Amino acid sequence: MTAVTEPTEQDQLAYVAAKAADSRVNVELETDDGMTLNIGPQHPATHGTLRIVAKLDGEQVLWAEPIMGYMHRGYEKLVEVRTYPQVTTLINRIDWLGSFANEVPFILACEELMEIEAPPRAQYIRTVLHEMGRISHLIMGVGDMGVQIGALTPMFYAFRDREYLLNQIEAATGGRFHPNFDRIGGVKDDLPAGWIAETTRIMKTMTAFCDQMDDLLMGNEIFEQRTRGIGVIPPELAQLYGLSGANLRASGIDWDLRRDSDSPMAWKHADFKVITHTDGDSFARTWCRLQEIRESAKIVTQLLDDLPSGPIMAKVPRIIKVPAGEAYVATENPLGEMGYYVVSKGDLGPFRVKIRTASFSNVSIVPWILRGVYVPDIITILGSLYFILGDIDR
Amino acid sequence: MGLVESGKLPKPLTNLLNISRKYSLWMYQWGLACCAIEMAAVMAGPRFDVMRLGVIPLPASPRQADLLCVSGTVTDKMVPSVRRLWEQMPDPKYVISMGSCANCGGPYWDSYSVTKGVDQVIPVDVYVPGCPPRPEALLEGIVLLQEKIANEDMAEKWRGDPIVVS
Amino acid sequence: MIPLSSADTATEDTSAEDAPAEESGPSDEMREALLAEIAGLLGDSLVESHIVPGKQLYLRVTPESWKETHRVLRDEMGFKFFEFLSAIDWMPSPFGKSEDASADAGIPVTKVEDPGEIEQGFAGGETRFQVFTRVVDISHDTPGKSVGVIVKVDVPDPHEDPEPVLETLLSIYPGTNWHEREIHEMFGIGFTGHPYLEKLYLPTDFEGNPLRKDFPLLARHVKPWPGIVDVEPMPDDADESDDDSGAAAEGGDDA
Repeated sequence: MTAVTEPTEQDQLAYVAAKAADSRVNVELETDDGMTLNIGPQHPATHGTLRIVAKLDGEQVLWAEPIMGYMHRGYEKLVEVRTYPQVTTLINRIDWLGSFANEVPFILACEELMEIEAPPRAQYIRTVLHEMGRISHLIMGVGDMGVQIGALTPMFYAFRDREYLLNQIEAATGGRFHPNFDRIGGVKDDLPAGWIAETTRIMKTMTAFCDQMDDLLMGNEIFEQRTRGIGVIPPELAQLYGLSGANLRASGIDWDLRRDSDSPMAWKHADFKVITHTDGDSFARTWCRLQEIRESAKIVTQLLDDLPSGPIMAKVPRIIKVPAGEAYVATENPLGEMGYYVVSKGDLGPFRVKIRTASFSNVSIVPWILRGVYVPDIITILGSLYFILGDIDR
Repeated sequence: MGLVESGKLPKPLTNLLNISRKYSLWMYQWGLACCAIEMAAVMAGPRFDVMRLGVIPLPASPRQADLLCVSGTVTDKMVPSVRRLWEQMPDPKYVISMGSCANCGGPYWDSYSVTKGVDQVIPVDVYVPGCPPRPEALLEGIVLLQEKIANEDMAEKWRGDPIVVS
Repeated sequence: MIPLSSADTATEDTSAEDAPAEESGPSDEMREALLAEIAGLLGDSLVESHIVPGKQLYLRVTPESWKETHRVLRDEMGFKFFEFLSAIDWMPSPFGKSEDASADAGIPVTKVEDPGEIEQGFAGGETRFQVFTRVVDISHDTPGKSVGVIVKVDVPDPHEDPEPVLETLLSIYPGTNWHEREIHEMFGIGFTGHPYLEKLYLPTDFEGNPLRKDFPLLARHVKPWPGIVDVEPMPDDADESDDDSGAAAEGGDDA
């Protein structure tokens, strides 16, 4: 931990960053002092358009620096010129795999400022959809981790089982990818008929998927050799870098906003375990994600079992004006802690929104963690950190 | 000078060439944002399976590709790379612009960093609307592109002296 | 049920050295005790504070003590989890709120002549810009006990006074590296001691600092939002359709 906090390291950081900026896209090789390897901006291992410039000595990475901004869409500026209902449409697309989960903290922040609270049924539906988003997100994460290290089968299984889940999300919200279903004061619609039984059945499929992955991936000798002891993140450092989600829990820190915050969402009514692992390596991170799918499936089943009846919308004015004030609300999203710092001046739209995304902080440790690893491990580590580019660049 | 360049390609031969071209499209994926996941569902998902349309995903390099699928938000920082990639593809090449962002900027129409449509830098053959388009929509876009290829007159398109790189 | 916030725009001018903040609504003993402890450690460098009961604790410190405050918070108070660093431009936008926002609500669009005074939020402030961080103590396991602190600091307008007043937090929280670069890019605010304050997101030739309120979104000026263009009356909504079409006409007129 102290190694990176020493001031002398800053010089090295400056060197790293300056070198990274200097190597343009078309300079891929340098032969004078080692070799510069440019990964991205479009590479399957970077989950989109992250670019990593690595300086190699033989097979070993001397330094590596991510360059981002290839997916920067200017969210924080755009939401300033939109109304509150319009903002949810936009923020769906930050972390595009767990779309519904993006809406929840923003809506909660607005509700906190407006001093209203959604009725219990709406909170349950929100939580169920949030967890389903997490499952569909993490399924891709686990499948993708297989692809990164050369196992294609998990990806096919992931896509197969994810379709069932997307069907259910679509049936309830009308949106396969971007539900835009959460409203200030509740949710848009009630659940359709027969949805609960079908979803409960599909949660069993998800648990079966986890069993399959446990056999295929976690018990696989090659997988273990590629991931065990690779990219270890010490818990102290993980906190200082602001890592969250499975990346933090895999380093042994028992921290989950579903349990540790007083969120009005329905997590407090469900009985689930917060998965932690002590190793902090790539294997631990993937393992944590896989087990979290199980826990999420459990939460969904439990919440659907005792779904309360009642209204799904609180009483809100037709034109939404949020009273002046500031609020920060974060929830445990599939990738980690996602929060919105909403500043309102009593207008139809927010005055300023700071979007704290999980991936941005998670990836900020990459220059530290990639120092000294071998080239194939870059891919393993990036795959196990598991980020979404829209979530980094916003 | 070959038959194609001389502009004297017999019609049956044109048809034969077009059929073989339209059912062997190597699709280079330029997945940028949300649409990339739907495109991946088309390419790798068992439910949609683009290979039954004769489209082969994941070529090793753009130099082997016939079809470029730009799916997702193209930012000003990314535009040079898109253009450069397209320039590397050999003719005849086709471009599918998938999703509202690639078509026109989509929900980021007023953003300071998003390019309002990839057709500002490369010619686009088929636009697939949606945010993101369903996988079926992309399949439909590919079918439309195949129709376009089937009706192409190659001799008309490539009449003239061949380009010789010395 | 969680006690709802009673705080509004009025900033609490309660000095931290005084007795705990006198809230008109529900009190928050846990955060008040925390505030008293922090105030004891920080002394004069704590300028103002504000508690939203049950939700949040806001501090405002002097720019000189910016780094020292975070060292105290990390080492002596246990706030080890770095959440974010960001900034805010409190100037009301000279371009008004969005055109479409007004059009949707049926309010006539007017060009903003007088955008209003600069008015800072919780814990007050004196300058147009403020930088703030949030750090959390995540060692608690009991629900609701995981407390975070938002630390704000005043910074002068970097376009008028380009000399940075804040020290980088890199040696306290290494995670601030990219956050500070982002703030430098978006607002122009500098940090002394940061080794590489270059653009993080935008292309190298991009000019301007997008998140400043005086940065215009040119697309909106070139092509105004047309309002609601294709409104068809809903079957059961005949009375509301009049409002909407009126709004559309007004929204379309705006240039």
